[in-house]
Amino acid sequence: MITELVSSTVLIGILASGIRLATPYLYAAIGETFGQRSGVLNLGVEGQMLLGAFAAFYLVFMTGNLVLGLLAALAVGALMGLAMAFVTVNLKAEQGISGIGFYLFGLGMSDLLFQRMLGTVETVSGFSKVNIPFLSDIPVIGEILFRQNLLVYGAFALVPIAWFVLNKTTLGLKIRAVGENPEAADSLGVSVAKVRYFTIILGGMLSGIAGASLSIGLLNVFQQNMTSGLGFIAVALVYFGGWRPWGVLGGALLFSMVNSLQLWIQVLGIPIPSDIAVMMPYVLTILALVVTVSRVRGPSALTKPFGREE
Amino acid sequence: MKSYKWMTFLLLIALMLGACAGAAPTEDTTGAPDEPAGPFRVAVVMPSAINDLAFSQSMYDALLTVQERMGGEEKMEIVFSESMFVVDDAAAAIRDYASQGFDLVIAHGSQYGSSLQEIAPDFPETAFAWGTTLDTFEDQGITNVFAYEAASDQGGFVNGVLAATLSESGVIGVVGPIETGDAKLYVDGFVAGAQSVNPDIDVNVNWIGSFSDVALSAEAANTHISAGADVLTGTAQMVVGAVGVAEEAGALWFGTQADQSSLAPDIVVANQVYRWEVVLEDVIELVQSGTYGAKSYRINLANGGEEIVFNPGFDLPEDVKTLAEDTIAGIIDGSIVVGGSAAEAQTLPSFEETFRVAVVMPSAINDLAFSQSMYDALVTIQERMGGEEKMEIVFSESMFVVDDAAAAIRDYAASGYDLVIAHGSQYGSSLQEIAPDFPETSFAWGTTVDTFTDQGITNVFAYEAASDEGGYVNGVMAATLSESGVIGVVGPIETGDAKLYVDGFVAGVSSVDPRIDVNVNWIGSFSDVALAAEAANTHLSAGADVLTGTAQMVVGAIGAAEENGALWFGTQSDQSSLAPDIVVANQVYRWEVVLEEILTLISEGKYGGQAFVIDLANGGEEVAFNPGFDLPADVQALAEETIQGIIDGSITIDLGG
Repeated sequence: MITELVSSTVLIGILASGIRLATPYLYAAIGETFGQRSGVLNLGVEGQMLLGAFAAFYLVFMTGNLVLGLLAALAVGALMGLAMAFVTVNLKAEQGISGIGFYLFGLGMSDLLFQRMLGTVETVSGFSKVNIPFLSDIPVIGEILFRQNLLVYGAFALVPIAWFVLNKTTLGLKIRAVGENPEAADSLGVSVAKVRYFTIILGGMLSGIAGASLSIGLLNVFQQNMTSGLGFIAVALVYFGGWRPWGVLGGALLFSMVNSLQLWIQVLGIPIPSDIAVMMPYVLTILALVVTVSRVRGPSALTKPFGREE
Repeated sequence: MKSYKWMTFLLLIALMLGACAGAAPTEDTTGAPDEPAGPFRVAVVMPSAINDLAFSQSMYDALLTVQERMGGEEKMEIVFSESMFVVDDAAAAIRDYASQGFDLVIAHGSQYGSSLQEIAPDFPETAFAWGTTLDTFEDQGITNVFAYEAASDQGGFVNGVLAATLSESGVIGVVGPIETGDAKLYVDGFVAGAQSVNPDIDVNVNWIGSFSDVALSAEAANTHISAGADVLTGTAQMVVGAVGVAEEAGALWFGTQADQSSLAPDIVVANQVYRWEVVLEDVIELVQSGTYGAKSYRINLANGGEEIVFNPGFDLPEDVKTLAEDTIAGIIDGSIVVGGSAAEAQTLPSFEETFRVAVVMPSAINDLAFSQSMYDALVTIQERMGGEEKMEIVFSESMFVVDDAAAAIRDYAASGYDLVIAHGSQYGSSLQEIAPDFPETSFAWGTTVDTFTDQGITNVFAYEAASDEGGYVNGVMAATLSESGVIGVVGPIETGDAKLYVDGFVAGVSSVDPRIDVNVNWIGSFSDVALAAEAANTHLSAGADVLTGTAQMVVGAIGAAEENGALWFGTQSDQSSLAPDIVVANQVYRWEVVLEEILTLISEGKYGGQAFVIDLANGGEEVAFNPGFDLPADVQALAEETIQGIIDGSITIDLGG
């Protein structure tokens, strides 16, 4: 039975599933990476995702226009980010607690809006699969990578962009400086507040898209609490990835691939209890975390509010 | 610094509470109504359009008739808000009209009741009317609300007699919205009428779950016609779709609520038409003489509030028409008693005070699955008991944290609810601690058969579903319909109700063809929609062309199935609306059966100690076919035989295999 795992249908199935499952994690975790590199821990990702998912779904449900849906998710995410930035930068609130507050707000608000504005589970036609010419015809790889919907491509394209911005631009340098040593950055004329506002709002927008990638990309439904902890896993993936976009990509892929592997293990009837199979992605992620993260140091100013000594 | 943090936290909490408070009505000014110097001013708020050829139109037409009789617009002014399907909007409209000094404000929809109950006391000089109900809130000290309702089973009975007489195939189809209220009453009467002519006649009833889905009602009519029906009827405003289909197929149609002859002059035989004039004229007279409410009306054939209108364009044989007129006369003089609702009402006890039920659920009340099945059942029982006055329902949903649920259960018990339902097997150990503290409160929990009686606890009922039965029926159909020989199952955690369903499903499949591969995937979560979708994708890549699954996260799997054109079998609630093209059938739980028993026991002073199991035989489980899915007749017949076999015991489900 184990040998069935290595057939090409199964391998392609596992990898293609993994790519899809990784999509929402990538958007949310890359957004979170920006925030954390500038010194702000945002635990409200899940709430931003839920509101983004609902906003996108509702707009597409009403208008059928996918672009409007995406814009709605971006706008809602940006608003949530703006509020989060105000609370953590201006009011200097404890970031963990206020993040949880924003999570609960997003959870409750999205449910309330769902009950009031839709009332029941509905479906929309969201982003459909786009076969990339030529590339999608490559055997195996084409099937895995190049027959997905636009939001999936977007998530993977985001990784090199984020890497480039963080490491090769002045903006990235400012973000990293603010996260490592805000006093020094401030003394050199970098506005800590501005940079943090920027990263938190950007993170909110990407979380909104993460939600939309579920509600109008992969699932095309909205259900109350549909992210079910995905946003928190995204935050964990940032630590896992050592605060680097490529690391986040590795973590998201590892987690998702193991998850799709366990789905196939059950389908093929390999005699592992389902409870154990379901645990696999989490156990492996923790193991990998223990092995890798001990070597990597996070941003020094993470979770520390910045205020000039008066 | 410290105080800043706390301020933020409080700010956040305020933000959240503010969000939850939602759209509370802000306008609270008690407008002084105008003196009745000018015309008599009537405002009406309706759930659908004034030209819906159904419920709303019946009221609007009646108003126009009364206006004409009173002497035109100078004597009576009519304003209306139509399509008020959002109850909050309707409530705002009702309040607006009242504060603008209208003499009579009509809330034409039973769903507006609780809003009206809040609004009416603020405008003691305004008369209100609402229906369909018989409750005027007089026992809450409200004296300015009239109530009206229709004995729609009477006209239904007459239509049924006619339909059975005219049907040549012996099959009649009914398209209804939701099995409750006026619609249920009409259909019950119709079925009784048809069976009074021919007890062997097949009356297939299809509840499509919507008052507005015209396309689905058309599809339901198509299904009836494929099943051999040559006469159709239906109620509520979405039936226009069904009428069109009947016309195309040359089947006969019977209307209700308004005269639908104009819609299809060749095939409409007769309509039960509501004449609310009878109610309105009396109400207006009372209002003008200073009485603003506290009276209820029931229109029927005898008082002229209901009338059978024959379509002049349809050539009805003389003897059939005579039979119809005899039936009407018989109902009026009491020689024919239309059963219907009366028999059903007897199974529910009546309580002196409002019976108060609280329910704690692990997911949302509209999850199309486990929680919704209980909530829908409570609402049905509430309707049958007579609305919110007779039974109060409160709920805490999404209580996936057991500690929170336990706190909620204790709170409800402490605030004096008569029955507290812990709807989730995970709440058992908490309930075991809480129940002994409240010996006067009755508790129910499920799914389980353990009432804790052996721990000396006497106030807990238990309920469970024999979900393997519907699972077996679904499995039989799935195996018959699968072409690839591979079927996929998406489940949450391998235990309880979910495991039972899946085991039954697998047994059903292998009873048809033991060679079929049934791949089962337990995803370890009740809420992870994305993972459920991916599990479904995995099944599809493994070659499955038929899928099923249980618990609320399966909406993701249904989406994946739809995208790939695979078939889906649902359980717990009716999931047809989610993917009308691919859902074949659903096992639907009817917890009403359990709730009826529990209420009866409570009324006799027993607070627990009994366990109930719903199954196909006792009507607590039902296999609901999706009217939009074109199921081959032989497969449907096989499914029905299987159901029959399970009920009469000739099929036993082997869960080991």
